[in-house]
Amino acid sequence: MDQTISFKQVTHTYQANTPFSQDALDLVSLTIPAHSFTAIIGHTGSGKSTLVQHINALLKPTSGEIDVYGRTIIPTTTNKNLKELRKHVGMVFQFPEKQLFEESVIKDIMFGPKNYGASEADAEKDAEDAMQLVGLDESLRDKSPFDLSGGQMRRVAIAGVLAMKPEILILDEPTAGLDPRGHKEIMDLAQELHDHRGLTIILVTHQMDDVVDYASDVIVMDRGKIVKHGKPSDIFSDPKWVYQMHLDLPSSAEFATRLVKAGIHLKQTPLTIEKLADEIAELIKWEAHT
Amino acid sequence: MSNFLFGRYLPGNSWVHRMSPQSKLMLCFFFVIVIFFANNVWTYATLSLLLIVVVLMSGVSIGYFLKGIRPLIWLIIFTVLLQILFSSGGHVYWHFGPFSVSDLSLINGGFIFVRFLLIIMISTVLTLTTTPLAIADGVQTVLKPLKKFHFPVDTLALMLSIALRFVPTLMDEMETILNAQRSRGVDFGSGSLRHRIQAAVPLLVPLFTGAINHAENLSTAMEARGFTDSEHRSKYRVYKWQTKDTISWGVFLLVGILVLFLRNN
Amino acid sequence: MKDIIQIKNITFNYPDQPLLFDQLSIDVHEGEWTALIGQNGSGKSTLARLIDGLIVLKSGQIVVDGLIVNDDNIFDIRNKIGIVFQNPEDQFVGATVEDDVAFGLENRQMPREEMHKVVESSLKEVGMWEFRDRIPANLSGGQKQRVAIAGIVALSPKIIILDEATSMLDPRGRQEILDLVTKIKQENNLTVISITHDIDEAATADRVIVVNKGTIVEEDKPDNIFGDIRKLESIGLSAPFTSQLIMALEKRGIDSSSQYLNDKRLIAWIKQLVSNK
Repeated sequence: MDQTISFKQVTHTYQANTPFSQDALDLVSLTIPAHSFTAIIGHTGSGKSTLVQHINALLKPTSGEIDVYGRTIIPTTTNKNLKELRKHVGMVFQFPEKQLFEESVIKDIMFGPKNYGASEADAEKDAEDAMQLVGLDESLRDKSPFDLSGGQMRRVAIAGVLAMKPEILILDEPTAGLDPRGHKEIMDLAQELHDHRGLTIILVTHQMDDVVDYASDVIVMDRGKIVKHGKPSDIFSDPKWVYQMHLDLPSSAEFATRLVKAGIHLKQTPLTIEKLADEIAELIKWEAHT
Repeated sequence: MSNFLFGRYLPGNSWVHRMSPQSKLMLCFFFVIVIFFANNVWTYATLSLLLIVVVLMSGVSIGYFLKGIRPLIWLIIFTVLLQILFSSGGHVYWHFGPFSVSDLSLINGGFIFVRFLLIIMISTVLTLTTTPLAIADGVQTVLKPLKKFHFPVDTLALMLSIALRFVPTLMDEMETILNAQRSRGVDFGSGSLRHRIQAAVPLLVPLFTGAINHAENLSTAMEARGFTDSEHRSKYRVYKWQTKDTISWGVFLLVGILVLFLRNN
Repeated sequence: MKDIIQIKNITFNYPDQPLLFDQLSIDVHEGEWTALIGQNGSGKSTLARLIDGLIVLKSGQIVVDGLIVNDDNIFDIRNKIGIVFQNPEDQFVGATVEDDVAFGLENRQMPREEMHKVVESSLKEVGMWEFRDRIPANLSGGQKQRVAIAGIVALSPKIIILDEATSMLDPRGRQEILDLVTKIKQENNLTVISITHDIDEAATADRVIVVNKGTIVEEDKPDNIFGDIRKLESIGLSAPFTSQLIMALEKRGIDSSSQYLNDKRLIAWIKQLVSNK
């Protein structure tokens, strides 16, 4: 079986055949290999969310074809055939805590596995594993999810997706509104899932520091088209272009451009603090090294 | 999806667009009342003519009106059929058990059809040329006399305007929750009735929880912005009565009198 | 300098919950930008609501510009304070942008003629006048927060409280809101309190108060607070970018004598080192 996610000439038009019709995706073709950690960036309204919602067929293409690990989605695909696909593609929406509804944490997490046909006992075991994975204490198990803090509620929601044991995990701005500690915990969880559990991670984000810290590949979208697809270093090597796309640079790269403006010349655009510190150190201790 | 309510308003600058919302609202009522006095070809023709003039003056293309009728088409057909099959008298063309079709029932059916059309068209003119906010303001002005009886007119208007303002927000939220639960394997809109009701719980609980959160936060924000009660406030928007409104009322009243004169007694 | 807000020995808890504040005291200086930082759940937002009299103290006293926060003074106090709340959606009361700005003016029964002038000038001030007839569904989060700020500017308060006002915005929207508040603060000589967990937002303040578990952990100039990365991390906050860079340079043997530098001063310092080598 083909272990990739691929889009072939996919177009998506919202409200087709009305005066409000709008092209949200415009002939998009791309391939995301299995087990990659791909970040999708682009300014608000560039089509990021529309793109990822095609991967588990919440949206169907107006034209073109999508292939997810050998399962094909075309404009005429019917809802009946989607359950099998959606089981394998976990989707964490923005502010996922809004989807909680059960009377207890454990029941809410078991909801997904049970919908996909797991027995009560299996679902419970998967839910317990997922709780542990996201770092939720066992004592919270029978509490109402609505009595938890915002950060805990988000982890319950993410556990609810992980309990289905997806092969692909889509995270749409998973850290929005969290404090720095909560932010780091969620991002580290994504990395753990990628590195040690072999999940394919697709991250939609505005946080460029997360892109360079966690992602191996980056897709840049603009007005429904893919304008660049490559390694973080390829994407951020041209600051002018990044600004043209209404995007930001990672903090280190941004700081580096300001150093350049101040007349301090660096060899290349550093993407992380460590690289930036290396370059500055090299400049300052040039003589000591030679 | 959020365009479903707000997409109905078509921005424009026609005579009808510029009339004050309260007089549009009242004219709409007036027209509907007059329709119920119509009972022959002449009266219906007079009202249809007036409606055609109004539609032309609104500058809205006829396609939008047809769209407004489409969702109600089955109701119209059903009522018209009932009228045709069950009304008696006149020359009978066909009958079967309690059903019969006569020249009179056909004419009555035709009248009912025109009556529906007129009511739908006039209210469509109102919603296509008036923003929801202006309609809420219009309601407030129209109900103002009830204040004498301590009816909370201003509170009602403010509630209406806030409710309208939150429709798109809640629609977006509903769509997100639907998608999130679909991703967790819920199959909305298929299976038995029992299954469908069960599937609604994961949608409705989060939707209500969200709505309650919005309401709590909103009331805090309103209080912080100096809100005490809705009766002691000044008004930013006031829709002045204009010459246009007087002329329109004149025409509508004349047509009303004409209908009373032309109808069969 | 005058203390425009004095929080004296306050105690507060939500029903059936442990004490959130126990004998807490804070002074806010007039004309300063004070940042209140701490992780989620540290009671920061509750403080904003107490200052504005939206919730009631258990014991202690809060004085705002000479007035004690109580039922008698509540409306005078709310005329002095404007709050920008966290969720852009939940403070937008009006059906359109201009109606929303007018909401606070309507509450104060301002005559209509005057209201139209004030709405126009306030929306121009925040750069949203061209959007005046938009409905909130057609605005971005950042644009909605701008409208909220216009609604506050319209009432010409003395104090603006940003209650996590940028936490739901993308980085660009966040920066735009901070720049806007900085501008308005200068033009109108306002006092700003920003309640936040965004360290870069706090780094622009005149004074930083670190709150953890309902008590003040530290209270100082940003320079003194952001020198100690480990301390910040121990209470769940991250250090500003410049502090992280200084620490990375220290590891490479370049010593800044553990001082906090903002970005301008850090660039100047690096430039000096490079030219001195």
